[in-house]
Amino acid sequence: MAEIRNGPEEPDRENRPEPTPSDDTGAARELVEPRSRVDYAVDLERRVALLSFEPRRAGLPEVGINDGQAYLDKHHVERPWLSVARDSPPEVQRVFAALDQGGGHAHIRHEGSVTEELNERRVRNLEDPAQLDPAKRVAGIDGLTAGDVPHRCGDIASRIVDPKAFATAFARGVEHPDVRAALESNGPRPEPVILPISRVLGDDGHKFCSGWQLEPVNGSMEEARAIRRAWKAGNQNAPEPRTRPVETFEGGTVTFAFRRSTVGTYEVSSMYVNPADEQPT
Amino acid sequence: MNQAYWARNPQGPFATLIAVAATYCHPEVYNDAYPELIERARSAAPEDGQIRVFREELREALADPSRLPNDELSKAVQYDDGSNEAFLRRLWRDLYGDQP
Repeated sequence: MAEIRNGPEEPDRENRPEPTPSDDTGAARELVEPRSRVDYAVDLERRVALLSFEPRRAGLPEVGINDGQAYLDKHHVERPWLSVARDSPPEVQRVFAALDQGGGHAHIRHEGSVTEELNERRVRNLEDPAQLDPAKRVAGIDGLTAGDVPHRCGDIASRIVDPKAFATAFARGVEHPDVRAALESNGPRPEPVILPISRVLGDDGHKFCSGWQLEPVNGSMEEARAIRRAWKAGNQNAPEPRTRPVETFEGGTVTFAFRRSTVGTYEVSSMYVNPADEQPT
Repeated sequence: MNQAYWARNPQGPFATLIAVAATYCHPEVYNDAYPELIERARSAAPEDGQIRVFREELREALADPSRLPNDELSKAVQYDDGSNEAFLRRLWRDLYGDQP
């Protein structure tokens, strides 16, 4: 070791320049940029998707990149699902503002403003997180349909928990060729498009997803759904509906469903994630 | 690639029935879309080939629900009728009433 230290390659310690004190130390850099090059590339791709998002191409009213915040500030009290995006970058706020002026409900029922409890109660007891009247919510009345219409839910209630990730999934999803074909079609309502979560959020996209699922009854999800509906109607002879958290969304899918748009041909009616074991075989 | 059953198996059994049912009857879209399906089915234009095939496949599935592929209809639609047959019966009644 001494030979190496005293060898010709070893700089003379006495003549080394003194380090200049600076904030740009390794520790500071680690705090600012903890990402690997791959992670950075993924983040950059997500940001580009958000910056280049054009609401009109998604069948939504046009919203400028700097106009989202004003919309959120103005409407978040009576539309509380907007609150989660108020501290987000302008490109995220634009997605929420545009979606909120459309007819879809993805950002209302499948985003971070829906708590775990609301999600669990939705799938177990058909309580709509979009219903702002607590009594009507417990009664299972849909919050987005005119009249006292029963709320419906599938086997799973899921959400993308981070507003930036949610907005990214939407912005990237609406540029997928199959989704574009649906949005630009002019015939009857297009069929849903089901894509891998990784396709819109990258390989670690599943980490942004959360959800609860109905437990089968006698091994049957059909029976579980029917019993849940019967319970809601007051027939409680069957076992009470039970739920469990979705363990992982790794390998899962994101579904884009469509509805007629008021400003274009079609828009996304809903966007929701499902775990892998819910994929059609 | 679209991973939906009907996209991966466009010529598969009952692909049109399952696609149309998923499009209009899934809980995520039901309240908005189901009335639209009723309207579309009852006033189907002759050139609406998809709804014609849908009706034929619905009739075939009702005649023998065991021919439906595995759980594809249940997974795609997530109805709360209790069974494929109960859902299909309701669907026919709502869309076509007493028509044979």
